[in-house]
Amino acid sequence: MYRINLNKYKILVGLFGLLIIPSLAFASDPIYIQDVEGNPIPHALVKIGTEQVLTVGNDGSFELPDNLQEDQEIIIIAMGYDTRIFQARELSQVNKFNLREKIGQMGEVVVAATRTDRSVEDLPMPVTIITRKKIQETGGMRLSEILREQTGLQVVGDHGAGLQMQGLSSDYILILLDGEPLIGRTAGTFDLDRIAVSNIERIEVLRGPSSAIYGSEAMAGVINIITKKSQERIVANLESRYRSFNTLDLSGEIGMNQNDWNLYAYFNRFSTDGFDITPEVPGKTQSPYQASTAQFKIGKKTKKWNFKVYSRFYNENSENSMQVAGEGSPRLADLNGERMDLNLNPTISFRPNDQWQMTLRSMSSLFQTHTLTVFQEDGSILDEQDFKQHYHRTEFQTDLQLDSKQLITIGLGHLMETVEATRYDDNNRFDAGYVFLHHQWDPSEKWNLVTGVRADLHSQYGERISPKISGMYKFNERFSWQLSLGAGFKAPDFRQLLLNFNNPSAGYYVFGANLVQQGIARLQSQGLVQQMLLNSSQFGQLEAESSRAINTGFRWKISGDLLFQGNFFQNNISNLIETALVARLNSGQNAFSYFNIARVISRGAELDWTFRVSENLQFSLGYMYLDTKDLDVLEKIDAGELFRRDAQNRSQRVQRSDYGGLFNRSRHNGNVKINYQESTTGINMALRVIYRGKFGFGDVNGNLILDDSAEYAPGLISWNLSLNKALNNGIMLEAGGFNLFNQTTIYAPTNPGRVLFAGMKLPIHQLINQYK
Amino acid sequence: MIKWNQILAGILLLAFNAGCESSEVEEPENDPQAKTVENLYAPNDVIDRSTGEITEERPFRYFSLENNQEVDNRDGNWDIAFKGTTLIVNSGTSGPGSAQGTVVTAAFDELNEVPSSVAFHSDGADGMAIPTGSGNGWYNYNPGTHVISPIPGRVILIRTNAGKYAKMEILSYYQDNPPLAEVDPMRSPSPYYTFRFLLQPNGSMKF
Repeated sequence: MYRINLNKYKILVGLFGLLIIPSLAFASDPIYIQDVEGNPIPHALVKIGTEQVLTVGNDGSFELPDNLQEDQEIIIIAMGYDTRIFQARELSQVNKFNLREKIGQMGEVVVAATRTDRSVEDLPMPVTIITRKKIQETGGMRLSEILREQTGLQVVGDHGAGLQMQGLSSDYILILLDGEPLIGRTAGTFDLDRIAVSNIERIEVLRGPSSAIYGSEAMAGVINIITKKSQERIVANLESRYRSFNTLDLSGEIGMNQNDWNLYAYFNRFSTDGFDITPEVPGKTQSPYQASTAQFKIGKKTKKWNFKVYSRFYNENSENSMQVAGEGSPRLADLNGERMDLNLNPTISFRPNDQWQMTLRSMSSLFQTHTLTVFQEDGSILDEQDFKQHYHRTEFQTDLQLDSKQLITIGLGHLMETVEATRYDDNNRFDAGYVFLHHQWDPSEKWNLVTGVRADLHSQYGERISPKISGMYKFNERFSWQLSLGAGFKAPDFRQLLLNFNNPSAGYYVFGANLVQQGIARLQSQGLVQQMLLNSSQFGQLEAESSRAINTGFRWKISGDLLFQGNFFQNNISNLIETALVARLNSGQNAFSYFNIARVISRGAELDWTFRVSENLQFSLGYMYLDTKDLDVLEKIDAGELFRRDAQNRSQRVQRSDYGGLFNRSRHNGNVKINYQESTTGINMALRVIYRGKFGFGDVNGNLILDDSAEYAPGLISWNLSLNKALNNGIMLEAGGFNLFNQTTIYAPTNPGRVLFAGMKLPIHQLINQYK
Repeated sequence: MIKWNQILAGILLLAFNAGCESSEVEEPENDPQAKTVENLYAPNDVIDRSTGEITEERPFRYFSLENNQEVDNRDGNWDIAFKGTTLIVNSGTSGPGSAQGTVVTAAFDELNEVPSSVAFHSDGADGMAIPTGSGNGWYNYNPGTHVISPIPGRVILIRTNAGKYAKMEILSYYQDNPPLAEVDPMRSPSPYYTFRFLLQPNGSMKF
């Protein structure tokens, strides 16, 4: 995946001059460039003077040309590593040297932020990268286990393991797989447990609204999961992990990278017995389930063309049981769930010269679920639900490098979505077209600007313009400040538009916004409506939920080994969609629909310190402060209209200081991470201490807001430790545990308590090479 | 030491006297007391789960605020009646009387008089004096936990058949008025109304 990039090595090249010194004749033995662990760095560049650039072989080696002057400066640049400058004389005396990784993944390339390759330190917006190595170190199997350890990200159990970012829930976070959106949400939550991690190369975490590039859903931020492709000629690995709750994760991958062909195939099988944090209640907290993931990627590169086809398949089966309350004694029922997910993503890109690049890509996805609930005693069906969603997107992107300082990106796309479901009336289809324009500009060495705008035209919610502007000022090589202003939106989802739900036993109807007019008319014609509570003139089109956000912060390299980063944010969200009562029926039942009513503010700070004590020891500290408020609640409190109940159920007035903001948000979150490589045994240790502060779990005093100490779940500290060791033959062994001190609360249903694991990775290609 | 004790005793005595004095002054001539009614059982109609139709209709439980007691039937001298989450007043479509009601947002103890802006309503085709439905009248229904919780700060005002004013607060929908946090809708029997009310027998709008 090569795109035009704006990395600034040109500036570095200009920093040194030429001196006239008697030349030396050098031996042409290869010199190897390695990382601190001794692995080759194949993508490095060796620059001699302003003219000459040497290529580095796949083994990370290069040879110095003859007749170099003794004090000729030679610059070694590699993406993700601190640049080193040698004199020719020094290099002639060694046959290998190390490059150090840039601290805090500052040098990593990010695609999602601008749709072009750009390194973290050159991006004027808050971005973090989780590398393959970090993913491996955690010992996690599913994506939720990786993301929950990052500063500023929380995983919340709500119809699956949903992500929370900057105080916004999973509904407002776009999840990308290799740059293409993943679909399939349950009640708005994208379940992170659907994603296996052993084929992930790196994860890009973009904070703040990115609707200017991605449109709907990218309101709180974007997670871009970049999967592996074969870097080596032939690669084959087997990986297995086993852990508590009889959880087994098996993965195999094979890859080939030859003659500009790149093939990669991956298969993962995951099974677990689930866990139960409320044993007194029938049914498990997490259902036992088995999941299979398969991925196949093929790519062919020529000088000007690049063809790729990526595909992914996911299938999951779960079983559980539950107790159904009703008249008479409660009855037990069995639940069976099935989820299926299929993606196909072909891409063609054409690069006629250094200035232009054109990319045509599409993503076709299918997401399907089936759930069946059956009474245990007589096998009668309590509930059966089907859901099927198709998504197809085609996009054409053109990148134009105007000069060394300006890059323009223009995109044009169409998307089509259909859904069929038990609770929706017909086969429903949405169509949308969009265009986006992006401009990356470095007006001077110190300034760096990214501006963009996207227009969406949608068959449901009309048109939407999403602008974003980000700028960074580099005070010096060590300190930069950035500011990013952007707008985000989330289109009303199928449920909010199309739901046609009647629950006679609980006694209510819910109509999607598109159906409420005819639904109420039908009830009226049947003579069932006793009273209309909203005028039918209020049944307008549901508008997209929208936000305006500011993110501002700094990157401060206090030294080459100490990095301090901060980001301060505020999201003002309006038009949030909630249900409201529409009509009261003769039977005493109610009919609801969805309306744009709520307004929310979320603000806070994310701070990260990274300290490399030595090559063997790294230490980091992360903290997030979060403050969320429902503005309508604040208005009511100020007007003295909000009350709560005391222990005798008598009413008291709520004060502003009682209000704790939105549920399920922790005011304080933090983490401490220590990585240590023990040099004599070769054991790597990664200890992570993750703190999630107390959070409101729900209302207990009757006013539906968070204002009582009994409404908070306690803060929890999770001690996660993993140890791994790579043997000489490439086999890797690992062991460790999550939540070693077994801290749980019933209000965090994704947290099973202590989990111990052991695992092994077999690099088959290496083993074959060694023994043949 | 002795001196200090004497001073302290003096202060206490003074406070005691002051207390007596003020309570004598503030006490109105007739002193209506808030009364609490516990566990008034008012089950809802039986509704068929699959169709939503009523299969067995149950009677309302009628209550007279003036007499602080239940009334046997619809034709009696009742002011307010209960069934499921529905509250009716004795007038309009609900009964032969003239009792009317309304719901205001206030703290029960702080509400010293019927606000002049308040309009009393009868039950009728275009609406109930005490609106039904979650969030509209006196209760919230939580679809996640299925708990029915009386909305804090909602006071029901009633003008009785005899034209006297009463304020009333529903405390609980569950048996024995448990703290809300302890309500388990699967296990806590309902609907058992616990409510408190204060009737001003002299016909004034002040409580």
